[in-house]
Amino acid sequence: MDKILEAVNMLLAMDKELIHIIGVTLRMSFFSTLISCIIGMPMGVILEKGRFRGRQLLKKISSTLMGLPPVAAGLIVYMLFTKYGIFGSLGLLFTVEIMVVAQVILITPVVTCLTSSVVSVSGKNLRETARGLSLSRKKTMGLFLYHNRKALLSVLLTAFGRSIAEVGAVSLVGGNIQWKTRVMTTAILLETNKGKFTFALALGIVLLLISLTVNVLASLLTKGDKTDD
Amino acid sequence: MIECKSIIKKYGERTVLDIPSLKIEKGERVALTGSNGSGKSTLLKIISGIIPFEGELSTEGKLLYMPQKNIPFDMTVLSNVTFSMTGKRKEKEEKAFEALKKTGLDALYKKNACVLSGGEQARLALARILVLHCDILLLDEPTGAVDIEAEELIEKIISDYINEKNRTLILSTHSPLQAKRLTDKVLMLDKGKIAEDSSSEEFIHSPKTQFGKKFIDMWRVF
Repeated sequence: MDKILEAVNMLLAMDKELIHIIGVTLRMSFFSTLISCIIGMPMGVILEKGRFRGRQLLKKISSTLMGLPPVAAGLIVYMLFTKYGIFGSLGLLFTVEIMVVAQVILITPVVTCLTSSVVSVSGKNLRETARGLSLSRKKTMGLFLYHNRKALLSVLLTAFGRSIAEVGAVSLVGGNIQWKTRVMTTAILLETNKGKFTFALALGIVLLLISLTVNVLASLLTKGDKTDD
Repeated sequence: MIECKSIIKKYGERTVLDIPSLKIEKGERVALTGSNGSGKSTLLKIISGIIPFEGELSTEGKLLYMPQKNIPFDMTVLSNVTFSMTGKRKEKEEKAFEALKKTGLDALYKKNACVLSGGEQARLALARILVLHCDILLLDEPTGAVDIEAEELIEKIISDYINEKNRTLILSTHSPLQAKRLTDKVLMLDKGKIAEDSSSEEFIHSPKTQFGKKFIDMWRVF
């Protein structure tokens, strides 16, 4: 209990390192979720609705990559961006940018597969209903996004949740460097190993609060949709 | 007018529809009937341009289609009706309210359409049609999941809408009685082919084919 109170005090005192770690974590998670959704959502629609050769193979690859172990993704990115790797000249290793790259590799298949299932559930019947009413392609797309907003929002939240909770890949490619690439999960791991539970607990509380805030925001965004009576 | 020539629809190797020739004149009311999987919905989807096919099809006039699995959009009942309309908001809402009144849904205008009952959703699907202009209306089992009372109301709404501007109607139904009430002609489909083409009156009293007789006899049992 004392440790929890100490952790709360640490948060209230706005510990500088703590704030920096939270900032890096949010920046990394925001951009990796954004990029993954920009790539993954259209890919999910194309994989479900598109008619082209190799679609089934791509769907299989995509669902296989959903289970890609984070350390394996981290290792691949590390090898590509290490000094002697193909992209070594970019000098991105141990930066927040490379952490975003690793996260995008991990999260995009998740977004793609989840979007595919959203499309497969409501896509056909919704499209027929829209076509029957002679809606334009643009209006049909707008309808699809609006009609499925809750499901798509939940895809986005899942992506964000996976991003913010990830340790293995970001630790490998980011290096967990203090004041630079240290994020909440890697910091919790390090501080726990050092026996500094207060700092780890403070970060854990923030992680939980972020998760709670995101969920409350999501329910606020969709509030009233099913209970308009 | 609708004209089909050598229409064939295949799913893989399986032919689900084979219509050598079909002509439906302007203002004609036609019922498509037959058992499940006979090709009724497929023919409607082909005419409405939703699915690809082999053959020739020509249609004159604006066409609206109400699929069997009509999806209520995840928004209010009023927005469901105004969504496909164009023009100023106030005008759209006035017209939508009129359609909701006709379908008996005006009191539910604020409710989310997804929480409506099956019968209410069927009436909402019609309300969405009523606010739009069309020359040809294609309905796929519009009373498939509703009770007798709602069926009566829906049939009246359809009938009024069709009579209003002498619109062409193609209706898919399992009920010979509904076909008789709403249409002048029945096309009975069997395994993707037109098995019988007769007036709805004739079809219910003296079907031409053995298959038609069997179909009507099954109804008479009830």
